[in-house]
Amino acid sequence: MTKVNFDKSAIISKQCKTFDFGHNFKLLPTNDLIKELQTVIRDKNTYRSDFVFNADRLIRLIVEEGLNQLPYEPHQVITPTDEVYYGLKFIKGNCGVSIVRSGEAMEQGLRDCCRSIRIGKILVQSDEDTHEARVLYAKFPVDISERRVLLMYPIMSTGNTVVKAVKVLKDHGVKEHNIILLNLFCTPSAATLVTKAFPSMIVLTSEVHPVAPNHFGQKYFGTD
Amino acid sequence: MSSSLDFADVPSSASSDRSDGNDDLCYDFGSIDIDADSGETSADYTSPPSPARIASPRLATLKGQKRERTLSLSKSSTGGGIKSETVLRTRHRTIYTAGRPPWYDAQGQSFEPFVIGICGGSASGKTTVSRKIIEALDVPWVTLISMDSFYKVLNEEEHKLAFQNMYDFDHPDAFDFQLLIETLQKLKESKRVEVPVYNFVTHGREKRTKTMYGANVIICEGILLFTNSKLLEMMDMKVFIDTDSDIRLARRLKRDIMERGRDLEGVIMQYNRFVKPSFDYYIAPSVIHADLIVPRGGENQVAINLIVQHVHTQLQLRGVKLRSKLVKSHVDQPLPQTLKVLPSTPQIIGMHTFIRNRDTSRDEFIFYSKRLIRLLIEYALSLFSFKDVTIETPQNIVYQGKRIESRKICGVSILRAGETMEQALCDVLKDVRLGKILIQTNMETDEPELYYLRLPKDIKDYRIMLMDATVGTGAAAMMAIRVLLDHDVPEENILLCSLLMAESGVHSIAYAFPKVKIVTTAVDVEINEKFYIIPGIGNFGDRYFGTELE
Repeated sequence: MTKVNFDKSAIISKQCKTFDFGHNFKLLPTNDLIKELQTVIRDKNTYRSDFVFNADRLIRLIVEEGLNQLPYEPHQVITPTDEVYYGLKFIKGNCGVSIVRSGEAMEQGLRDCCRSIRIGKILVQSDEDTHEARVLYAKFPVDISERRVLLMYPIMSTGNTVVKAVKVLKDHGVKEHNIILLNLFCTPSAATLVTKAFPSMIVLTSEVHPVAPNHFGQKYFGTD
Repeated sequence: MSSSLDFADVPSSASSDRSDGNDDLCYDFGSIDIDADSGETSADYTSPPSPARIASPRLATLKGQKRERTLSLSKSSTGGGIKSETVLRTRHRTIYTAGRPPWYDAQGQSFEPFVIGICGGSASGKTTVSRKIIEALDVPWVTLISMDSFYKVLNEEEHKLAFQNMYDFDHPDAFDFQLLIETLQKLKESKRVEVPVYNFVTHGREKRTKTMYGANVIICEGILLFTNSKLLEMMDMKVFIDTDSDIRLARRLKRDIMERGRDLEGVIMQYNRFVKPSFDYYIAPSVIHADLIVPRGGENQVAINLIVQHVHTQLQLRGVKLRSKLVKSHVDQPLPQTLKVLPSTPQIIGMHTFIRNRDTSRDEFIFYSKRLIRLLIEYALSLFSFKDVTIETPQNIVYQGKRIESRKICGVSILRAGETMEQALCDVLKDVRLGKILIQTNMETDEPELYYLRLPKDIKDYRIMLMDATVGTGAAAMMAIRVLLDHDVPEENILLCSLLMAESGVHSIAYAFPKVKIVTTAVDVEINEKFYIIPGIGNFGDRYFGTELE
């Protein structure tokens, strides 16, 4: 990935060097601005409106970067000045899947970039006693097995929920290499778990940090 | 009230013109209303700013506020009702008298305007000559400044005298030469000036001033112009209008009696007491300083042609032509350090493919432009300076983060296309301030011209995100940067943000303003003869707003 303005002093980059989660694990090219967004989201003194505002910004950037992982082909167009522009075109056949509830926070960001994209949902809940993740609800586009899937889940603490969700997708015939996980914050252990379980899946996150901001969903939806 | 004015192509807010459309030419030149909070400048305007105003009965009725002229106004000759419009139409072209000229050269440095001084007795035809010169000059930007604006403020006693026609308005002591000199000096340096608006009822200066900018040519006219040695030094060309005294007296009589409703006796008394002695003692001897004496005033077409020819030669020497020069000045140079291009990703190229395609529908064009602009703005913001902070999280850990150093960020969009970027800026910066600058390309000269400006008052304290959708030659952006610098914004606090730039524009801006950060999503190599970027995206504003010709 292109490295922009890489902040060498940031913890993120250290972690990036410390951990190796394979070539399908991708970190959003970081800069001071993204660090600020992460700071605002993590700060316990952030007002909810600021939280949502900044979370939406970070989500948008992750979605944009996630879309870069999709396949494309060369495409030439004629500009209004009658010149040729050698551009590219993305191949159709994508969809989004959000993991309820916090994943739904990312749906708008995806909509803002792809206006008419199909979006499926999975509801995974962990059992209060066994902490085992169970799928309670899943609704996908009918031809999901033919599509590339942008799986949305902002916080990965253990990684269990995502593992369960990906299994459901695979049960529906989605190929592992066609799944792109869009994630904001993830712990090293979750990253290890997910990349080990699904080495062909692309995982995109903005930060790997031992402590995940688990208050994300509650604060975003205002149920704290 | 300003609806009575006929602004051709010029937004009415671009000018704080009189409401009666019949003032002296001088007040209506270079008038950009620049105050941060003066949206209503002309609304409450009741008294005329200039002694040369002709109280036309028709207009007075129209406005229902006819004002009697109460005093002697010997010095100005209104060559027959020059319209106070911001645009003068001549047979061949349009001359803009409001707005700001491209007062910088290809290097972004300002060049000195050519100053013409026009002196002559009362009613000699100074204004007529000025107007004819402007028409014949054929340069887009002219500022006319009249000595009448620089009368001293009268005290109560003097005010009484003036009311009785006993105050000598023709004596050098009646003028504030110091202020005139300072003003002219600033105009020469292409700086913004506040020209006082003299109220001939109160004999004081109004709170409101007239904002003027330097121009290609500055014409300065007044009866006692050549009596001050400092003023003389500042003029590049000194013209004396030598009109026969009888004719001048006849004009005064006609004007004062027929047009201003004054009685014969008063006019003659005033003429003998003040006007004639002043001419004999001060004005007539000052002819010695003139480079050129024009007999018969405005009728003398030969003289005017000669003046115009000379000014043209001088302007060419100073390099008035701008854009074509900018295009060619940098070839095969490495791109400057200050330029940051948004790292190219498949999505960014994909969006470019959409917006560059001439067959893209407007709906898609807007959608993909907005997406691209959002990424551009986020990227541009990341180039501001950040500081380290330590915060606590709800998980009770300490987190080393970053926050932007100064939240005082102001977006300034270059109208019209730059406005398309405002939304994205608001979407990423809550309650960001937005300034606007309207710069239009003059179709005849292909030079950018400034028409309108609204900036926060304390703009110098802000980091500026200057936005324009496309940068071709960079002339408009350079003008906008100049305006910001004029408002004391430090150069290093300006960040120019644009969707698409041509290489030559990048070079020109970086060369002229090495501290300005330049951010864009793509740099194209060429510019065509219409100054469109190649391969480019066409006219971004037209495509976005749907105002294409066909």
